[in-house]
Amino acid sequence: MDYFKLVSTWPAEKIRQFIKEKNPDQYNLVDVRQPKEYERGHLPGAKLIPLGELKDRLSEVDPNKPTIVY
Amino acid sequence: MEGGINAWKGLQAEGPPDSGMAYFAPATRPEELIALAWYLEKGSHIFYSELSQRLTDRVAKDLFKELALAEERHQTALSGLYQDFAGSTSATGFPESVIRSREKGEIMEGGMRVSEALDWAKGRDIADILDLSISLEANAYDLHLRMKARLEDPRGKEVFTVLSHEEKDHLDRLSSLLEQKI
Repeated sequence: MDYFKLVSTWPAEKIRQFIKEKNPDQYNLVDVRQPKEYERGHLPGAKLIPLGELKDRLSEVDPNKPTIVY
Repeated sequence: MEGGINAWKGLQAEGPPDSGMAYFAPATRPEELIALAWYLEKGSHIFYSELSQRLTDRVAKDLFKELALAEERHQTALSGLYQDFAGSTSATGFPESVIRSREKGEIMEGGMRVSEALDWAKGRDIADILDLSISLEANAYDLHLRMKARLEDPRGKEVFTVLSHEEKDHLDRLSSLLEQKI
């Protein structure tokens, strides 16, 4: 894993538009918060992978698709 | 996402990662998933039909009538999907012939009991009722996407692909109708 690789950040409105236009199969949507936070409210279809588990669960994220993380 | 979830002004779903999935647990074949989904659509149809009759506001009445019709179209689409999967030329007896649900349309998409939702809606203002409807639809969309990700059977995945596309369209239509009419 390259921790120094720069990733771009998008404003929420750009992400809303992206999600509206794309099919859910075309991107990964990952919620890295804690389970209780996810329960209170999450983007529809988001996969919960708390930050602490991300390293062990990276195989659940398709590297060939863009990934939206929050 | 810049600003994280706090910056998000769009739809949100609620509940843990496995919420709503227990409803589909009795299904062992894709045809049974379709039948169980059909019962949920029926529940939503009853909810929106009842609201369209109960409300007096013309705009809201029309909106819920339209939503009830959309749910009816979803039921028809699911009957067609059942025929495709079963290789059948007719949907006679569907969904009872495929799987018996104890609920039979008493639960709607989003997982709420129709009777509870209708009781809750009594005396509420239209904005509250629309908020509930959107939140139920967002939860249904979320559930379909999570079910699709969870299932390993490609045909089962296909069922939830179709359902999630329908739900996304439905949410888009509902949101734009809201913007236009309310």
